[in-house]
Amino acid sequence: MNEASTTAVGTAHRDGATTVAPSRAGLVGERLRRRAADLLLSDYFILYVSLAYFIILIPFLPTLSNPANLANILSNMWPLLVVAVGQTFVLTIGGIDLSQGSVVGLASVVGAALLATAGSEAVMANAPLWGLVLSEQGGPLAGLPRGLAIGILAMLLTGLLIGALNGVSVAYLDMPPFMVTLVGLIVIGAFAIWLTQSENIRPLPDSYVQLGKGQIVSVYLGEQAEPRIPRREIHAFITYPMLIAVGVALAAHLLLSRSVFGRYVYAVGSNRRAAEISGVPVKRVIVAVFMISALCAAAGAILYSARLEAGRPTLGEGAFLLDVIGAVVIGGTSLFGGKGKIIWTCFGVLFFVLLSNTLNLMNLSSFHIDMVKGGVILAAAMLDVWRTRLLRERTT
Amino acid sequence: MKPITTLASAALAAVAGVPLLATPATAATICFAFQDLETEFWVAGHTAITQTLEEEGHTVIERNANEDANRQLEQVRDCVAQGVDGIIIIPQDGESAVTIVKEAQENDVPIAVFNRPPSDLSRGIIVVADNETIAEQAVDFLVEQALAEAEDGQTLQPLILVGDLGDPNAVGRKNGFYNAIEKHADRFETPIEVATEWDAATALANLEAAVTANPEIDLIFTSSDFLFPTIRSVLEPRGMWQPRGEPGHVLLGGLDGDATACQLIKEGFVDATGVQDLYFEADAALTAILEAIEQGEYQPNEVIEDPGFALTADNLGEREMDMWGCVLLAEGFLDR
Repeated sequence: MNEASTTAVGTAHRDGATTVAPSRAGLVGERLRRRAADLLLSDYFILYVSLAYFIILIPFLPTLSNPANLANILSNMWPLLVVAVGQTFVLTIGGIDLSQGSVVGLASVVGAALLATAGSEAVMANAPLWGLVLSEQGGPLAGLPRGLAIGILAMLLTGLLIGALNGVSVAYLDMPPFMVTLVGLIVIGAFAIWLTQSENIRPLPDSYVQLGKGQIVSVYLGEQAEPRIPRREIHAFITYPMLIAVGVALAAHLLLSRSVFGRYVYAVGSNRRAAEISGVPVKRVIVAVFMISALCAAAGAILYSARLEAGRPTLGEGAFLLDVIGAVVIGGTSLFGGKGKIIWTCFGVLFFVLLSNTLNLMNLSSFHIDMVKGGVILAAAMLDVWRTRLLRERTT
Repeated sequence: MKPITTLASAALAAVAGVPLLATPATAATICFAFQDLETEFWVAGHTAITQTLEEEGHTVIERNANEDANRQLEQVRDCVAQGVDGIIIIPQDGESAVTIVKEAQENDVPIAVFNRPPSDLSRGIIVVADNETIAEQAVDFLVEQALAEAEDGQTLQPLILVGDLGDPNAVGRKNGFYNAIEKHADRFETPIEVATEWDAATALANLEAAVTANPEIDLIFTSSDFLFPTIRSVLEPRGMWQPRGEPGHVLLGGLDGDATACQLIKEGFVDATGVQDLYFEADAALTAILEAIEQGEYQPNEVIEDPGFALTADNLGEREMDMWGCVLLAEGFLDR
């Protein structure tokens, strides 16, 4: 906000110059506007919005604050957060990764095909994987001492490979990220469906399923009135997916905010040409960013397929990308590149999951829920434009 | 316990004070989580379940997962967190059903699976049609007609539109089709299988390709009645969409028993359809879940089988009103 726009009283001096002295009301107004702008530009803005939204809705949706629902919100956050962290990197360089959904599907199929403890010929007989990787005895890694680790590694490598293809296409072939990853979404998704002929692969080993829903610390709040505490009153507090998601987010935060690579990412997103002139290895950074994005999608596939206890080629289809990109944009990562933080994405995911949860509690239909989500994402994109303008005004 | 025969009779009975279901002493809150309402069968099932529960004074929380298994799991968890007394689910597929049933039971919430069974039948209240037998009955009729019309020694070409084989219903229907065909294996060529994944667009593309490559098809069986309009759009331009008795009539059968199938049987374009007794299934699911709630049983496990039957051109007159689709047709469902 510049001086000229404030309410002011002019005082004439002998030399003809005029000093503009703001009125009291003008000063208060200016201070409030500055506070509002500070709030809007704060790293914690979406956290504040989430808290306000939560508190405002509690009287209308009493279930919202019950421990079971809070545990539920958290459990829904973790897989989405892992995938959204990867998308944050891509959006920060001014790109977009639409192939994340199909990477989730393919990685889940790869992992399940290797780790499944049994197979059904009646269901899978027409699938190319049948007989080649999967049999009545399950996948080749079923029951092996380090099978789980190798299976997970294969899933992550699948992600890295796809990310490298995306990155090379964007960085070295100068293809637009939107087109490259849109094609990836279609081709990789179709490949995953072809591999299993649209069938789901299960059963998966318990050790794998634990990664998606295993509880480390559970709590029961209240006095024990009966000998047997109903299971629904015991709430997950610390879970394996929570540890994985927090670990991924923390590593990504350090990489983006505390490393030279992170500074390169911001530089490429702010101005690719300027970054090149400054000696930033732009092409390698772009490839690495797409690899990180697909790696996170593959890690997300572990959590999603483990919680559903099946490798599913259709995982990541439908409104999944809306959720991922929506959560990142709501968090404050700019669609124009150069601006993004992992902590913003954490808050964005929190808000997005909270929003979904409250819309469910309001008993809205899935169509209305998607419409509201779309509206909120649009509002977040507009907010991004507003914040960028505000920031520019402050720095000039 | 009076079985539900039609929505109209359900409403009438409710007005007359006739108890339709074993209602718990207090009104229950039931979460009804369904994967989508794409076909007539699901729409009719959804209406039967929600209206009956509401008429009985229960609260129904509806959740539509829009064909997303992960979303359905999250919705069921939401329902559990809200403290619902019971859950009725139409799952996305047999695999996700296993996970969701386990999730509900581990949280001490009784759950019933409506019509699309989990791949593991040992947990939950599972209401399922005997798809294999019903399909076999319908295809038996088609085979009988085909052989009656065929010349001696002539071999016939059958085609089946297969559903998503991740759905045990689709597997049962496919098995029933083969059971009937294999009874006369010497008279039939190897059946052509057309994958549909329960998706009309996929079915259209694959059926177009199959019929183009094999124009001499004598018998078509679709694993679900909702694909009859798709079959028509492929056969009609080729002059193969003809009523019974007309030259070029392709013997056609399906399974579900919806209103479109009923109309097409009456018009002579379809020869038989396997009927799932939707109202029996809805009634059985509601009764079982409400009884479990009343008895404080958290993990009821029971398989309730709908024997079903085949409605054919021959028994149309006597069994028409036993088929839910014909009841809906009579109520003007297709005119709405």
